Amino acid sequence: MELQMEPTAPAAKQKRLRWGTGGKHLLLILLCLFAIFPIYWMVISSFKGAGEIFNNSLLPSSWSLENYTYAMEAIDIVGMTANTLVMALSQTILQLCTAVMAAYALTRWDFAGSKLIYALFSLTWLVPFQAIMIPNYTTIVGMGFRDSLMGVIVPNMASAFAILSLYPSFKSFPKALIEAGVMDKMSACGVLFKLILPNIKSSIVSLGILLFINSWNDYFWPALIISQGQTTLQLGLRSFMSAELTSWGPLMAASVLASLPILILYLIIQKQVIQSFVKWGIK
Amino acid sequence: MSEIALPLEQISVRRPSVVKTVLKRATPFLFLAPALLLVLFWVYRPLVETFALSTKQWNMNPNVEPINVGLDNFRYIFTHPDFLQAVLNTAIYILAMLPFSVIIPMILAIVTNNLSNRAKNIYRALFFLPMIMPPVAISAVWRWLMHPVNGLINSILIKMGLIEEGIRFLSDENMVLFSIVIIAGWKMIGFSTLMFSAGLTGIDKSYYEAASVDGHRRWKQTLSITIPLLSPTIMLMIMMSVLMTAQWTFAYIDVLTQGGPAGASTNVYYLLWTYGFKNFNSGLSAAAAVVFFIGFGLLALLFTRLTRKIAFYDN
Repeated sequence: MELQMEPTAPAAKQKRLRWGTGGKHLLLILLCLFAIFPIYWMVISSFKGAGEIFNNSLLPSSWSLENYTYAMEAIDIVGMTANTLVMALSQTILQLCTAVMAAYALTRWDFAGSKLIYALFSLTWLVPFQAIMIPNYTTIVGMGFRDSLMGVIVPNMASAFAILSLYPSFKSFPKALIEAGVMDKMSACGVLFKLILPNIKSSIVSLGILLFINSWNDYFWPALIISQGQTTLQLGLRSFMSAELTSWGPLMAASVLASLPILILYLIIQKQVIQSFVKWGIK
Repeated sequence: MSEIALPLEQISVRRPSVVKTVLKRATPFLFLAPALLLVLFWVYRPLVETFALSTKQWNMNPNVEPINVGLDNFRYIFTHPDFLQAVLNTAIYILAMLPFSVIIPMILAIVTNNLSNRAKNIYRALFFLPMIMPPVAISAVWRWLMHPVNGLINSILIKMGLIEEGIRFLSDENMVLFSIVIIAGWKMIGFSTLMFSAGLTGIDKSYYEAASVDGHRRWKQTLSITIPLLSPTIMLMIMMSVLMTAQWTFAYIDVLTQGGPAGASTNVYYLLWTYGFKNFNSGLSAAAAVVFFIGFGLLALLFTRLTRKIAFYDN
């Protein structure tokens, strides 16, 4: 049987291969369509006028900005964008700073308790946010930070996740280079800033992207803290959703605006965004 | 490090002053202090407080002293149907989520493994996008797509003649759980596929060469080589799904259904919110939090044990 098949085998194999590659592309295209369609629908619907919002066409026949003007009049999108930027940027920068320092300390020196501290950081992922939200909420209220961005940012100044993510980059930095730096009378800060940081820049940037996206999208802790005043975009969108139950056009426009910085970031550097999620997700 | 630092100090003329030694000992802690103190204060302190609060009754009003109620909160949650329903729902959520977070992504990753990198990158850029979208914006568009009267899904199904009147995806108690899973699964599926692809690229190609010399068929190769070598990723993704599904579905429950109708879509973490910020019974919320914390902690322990036993590491 095997022998008889031999002469025709290469042709059959090639045919199977061609079909196989086509099938693979088909599978991936289906997955892409499934993934992209809701976002596509959100974007194109936001440009449909009131007359055609319900006609289910895949492109608006005339591109209209009326949904955007409606949404911008209904909620203070500009102010909320500013608040969200302040929140996301300050959380990202603070989390990066505290994480860099902690990861540096844990990898550079051997000291009593370093294993315990590492364990303390890595066990935080077992503590769900909802299990600690009530004590943290009462603490923030006690500090007088209700209804302010401070109340949102203060508990998020350090991220154990960020520390653990940076740890391997610091760990793999060659010890010999640090020793050479010490020989040159470099201080502990000097070694960190002049030797290590310039060499692991890309890791820090990619972690920063991830932290920024996470804080930008976060809405639940802000929702507990802020009921009025310094509202963020996600909060504004949520209250817009419950106020305008079926004004789909303006709602889609507001959703686009609430995702815009992330979409722009993704358009420019999607490769790094994807890499940072896969890289840190794996560990 | 200290081994090297010591001889250096000895060389440098005089013995170091006490101040200097103390400072040197303190250096790591100075660098660690901000992160460590913040994590202790905002993660572990509240965790301890939650444990303490679980035996109290308190409406979160700072002017009211919490009342000690012993184990009453635990007795309450274990005898009330809303707790059991939340646990049961969470179990269903976890099971229903596995196809999106493990099964389909794994198959997709294996089947499409040897496509060219350029093609892969284009697909990746597209199917990864849901992962980074804000949950509230996602909820807005899915609420419309799933709307019983003017949603796209229903109007297509009606046009195809499959149904006569719109399915109430988010308000029918038999549908709502699966609708939420579709949204959360939609968000995860691209990311999971990527995780499995990353796991696959780590596999040494020589295993396959050896196998084709042995005359193994493709599907047999998959069963005997790919799956065992992929087992660390598989275990990781299963563990993440089990531990995190309640978290992944939380935002959609909160924005789209508030746990309803009649608790049909609530889950364990949403229950904590309901007890705490809707019923203002923080003791009850804390007691449930303690139960879930211990439950998920045990599950995590079980999984790490299991992974060590089952997962095949290619060292």
